[in-house]
Amino acid sequence: MLFKLPAHLPDFTLPAPLARLGARLPQLPPSLALVAGLNLALGRMIPREPLAPLAGKRFAIRVTDAGLTLRFAYSTRGFRPLFDAGKPDLTISARSRDFIALATREEDSDTLFFSRRLLMEGDTDLGLLVKNTLDGIDLPHFDPARLAPAEVLRRLRERLAHGA
Amino acid sequence: MSNPAPIELVCPAGGLPALKAAIDNGADCVYAGFKDDTNARNFNGLNFDDNTLREGIRYAHERRAKVLIALNTYPQTENWARWTAAVDKAADFGVDAVILADIGLMDYARRAHPDLRLHLSVQGSATSYEAINFYRERYGIQRAVLPRVLSLAQVEQVVKNTPVEIEVFGFGGLCVMVEGRCALSAYATGTSPNCNGACSPGKAVRWEQTPQGMETRLAGILIDRFADGERAGYPTLCKGRFEVEDATYYAIEEPTSLNTLELLPQLMAMGIRAIKIEGRQRSPAYVAQVTKVWREAIDSCQKDAAHFTPKAAWMAELNKVSEGQSHTLGAYNRPWK
Amino acid sequence: MKLSLGPNLFYWPRQATLDFYAEVATLPFDLVYLGETVCSRRHELRAEDWLDVAVQLAGAGKEVVLSSQALIESESDLKALRRLVDNGRFAVEANEMGAVRILAEKKLPFVAGMSLNVFNAHTLGLLADMGATRWVMPPEAGRETLAGVLAGKPPGVQTEVFAYGRLPLAWSARCFTARRFNLQKDTCEFKCVEFPDGMLVKTREHEEFLVLNGVQTLSAKTYNLLREIPQLAAAGVDIVRLSPQWQGLADVAGAFRRALDGEAAQLAGDYCNGFWHGKPGLELVENT
Repeated sequence: MLFKLPAHLPDFTLPAPLARLGARLPQLPPSLALVAGLNLALGRMIPREPLAPLAGKRFAIRVTDAGLTLRFAYSTRGFRPLFDAGKPDLTISARSRDFIALATREEDSDTLFFSRRLLMEGDTDLGLLVKNTLDGIDLPHFDPARLAPAEVLRRLRERLAHGA
Repeated sequence: MSNPAPIELVCPAGGLPALKAAIDNGADCVYAGFKDDTNARNFNGLNFDDNTLREGIRYAHERRAKVLIALNTYPQTENWARWTAAVDKAADFGVDAVILADIGLMDYARRAHPDLRLHLSVQGSATSYEAINFYRERYGIQRAVLPRVLSLAQVEQVVKNTPVEIEVFGFGGLCVMVEGRCALSAYATGTSPNCNGACSPGKAVRWEQTPQGMETRLAGILIDRFADGERAGYPTLCKGRFEVEDATYYAIEEPTSLNTLELLPQLMAMGIRAIKIEGRQRSPAYVAQVTKVWREAIDSCQKDAAHFTPKAAWMAELNKVSEGQSHTLGAYNRPWK
Repeated sequence: MKLSLGPNLFYWPRQATLDFYAEVATLPFDLVYLGETVCSRRHELRAEDWLDVAVQLAGAGKEVVLSSQALIESESDLKALRRLVDNGRFAVEANEMGAVRILAEKKLPFVAGMSLNVFNAHTLGLLADMGATRWVMPPEAGRETLAGVLAGKPPGVQTEVFAYGRLPLAWSARCFTARRFNLQKDTCEFKCVEFPDGMLVKTREHEEFLVLNGVQTLSAKTYNLLREIPQLAAAGVDIVRLSPQWQGLADVAGAFRRALDGEAAQLAGDYCNGFWHGKPGLELVENT
């Protein structure tokens, strides 16, 4: 079950110790969770055709306040986690709160960019394609929270809570 | 004073969710484009294919909203057939109007689809009633979108001297240059708003966090460098910081959005027929937020223009989604010039 | 091919302007375009002064065309435009559709200026039906666009191409020169007159990039199609346009004249020619 999001997402930053701890944790399990979510959506919620230019591209999602960097790649077979530290084609950085707001369509990515809460580095055209493709998905059962770091973060929080 | 004529709220849709968000939040019209360079927001992954267009028109018409299709770039001789096919497609799908800039294409549309309603795009650069009446007499255009260069008094002079409905920009990204007359992007990147339908294309843009701050480059040219926490703008040449005569500043315009909410009573009184919201490149969240505010404001102004004042909450909501630091009245307010 | 001098886009003191055109009378131009196309506030030369210059240049054997203002904002702009159209002697270059309407109504032949955005043969055909006898290609267009338009060009319409000068890239309602000095446009103190080739804009890495000329923005680099003259001729261009600059126009005109006559000609400088070759305008394509 997904954790329930309030209608308007409050502004929050994960506590700094979490970021320090998060950075020391293995980054692979959250990457796996994200990739699994993305693959689940592929072909059903996310159409494959507009994603063709993403094939062979390497992505990194940096959740700044969780100290997390999720690395993955896309090919025609789907998304897969990346194990190496090679330079990604596109890196998107934001706080967990803002990733969740984007995923739930509460905030516009340009709005976050203007206020410096979102940074997109690398291949900008690739970033636009990803953003516009996600913005263009229109299916009644679409729940972008499943795709996004939201779910990953929830699991991470649980792990940290249990481990602490 | 008699009741002012109804004013239409025209909202942007880069995709189907944005179209629905606009209509659900009170847009009278949405404007959209096809997935190619026939429109001036030709960005990767944006715009409508046949399926989403069909669904969008159905959704809009069921809710008594209109769909306008922008075909507002300038076709070349060798790709002419693609633009005329786009006009045919828009007509066949039953859109409520097409928004055109090129007189060749207007002539084609008028002959091939005499019942198709034509709007003059802002890309047509018509700033005087003489120019607007030219398009009406020759091609039967029924509405003209004014470039964001005229003062309020100048807008009124245009309205008074033409039977063509006038649409003005109400909110969103601010082109400081006369639309249709700007080759800055073409000069730096080779991608022309007039011919390729994109300004500062993604392929030419690089953002990078450096020790000096976040740098924005367009085709390698340093457009701006932002300190931490400093609000940013679009990576267009006109919103960059440059050195001119030993001063480093926003030489052309700050990153800022146009917001004419406070002018609503005047715009209505002078007979403006439609207010356009910029932002087909933005997300459904933006479209929903901005449409909702403007719907409320227009309804409130239509009810009682004399006592209309923009609510602080409206302005706060609009400022939140604005480019850069703030909003501006742009050219409507003469001192801006 | 013929050689033309476009309207002076910059703002020069009255005497300097008069001296400049006195020199132009002696230079190898076949045609000269005159008038203020950028800003209605500029007044070193009044409408009647421009007509005097026109008469003198016509007397020196030049074909003279009066150019209309590209951005019309006010009723007084329209009045000036109507006066220009009614000059009774010289042809007019229409730089926006309002001018086309007024000229066509009076059944006067006209030149379709570069800001009319003619990018296809269909559009040129329509303008020709309204009375256009010549069109000037938008500078951002290149050889491919030209070939397309000329493939379907109506008979009797001449083609002119902007071939030398800082590229006019954009117009605005805002005066960027006034902005630099924290002045408003309406009280601008005519600062443009201090920048006879425009006010240089550099990036924060000190690269020369643009120049500001009141409400107009131009390239810092000079566009130069001297080496492409054989290509222009082969494409079917009738007239090659140079844009006025504060100094050194005689050398440029001479070089272009020689090139048009099939002789060897060279110019040295920081040039660009990207637009003609379908590339970003600021690029210089070396081997053509």
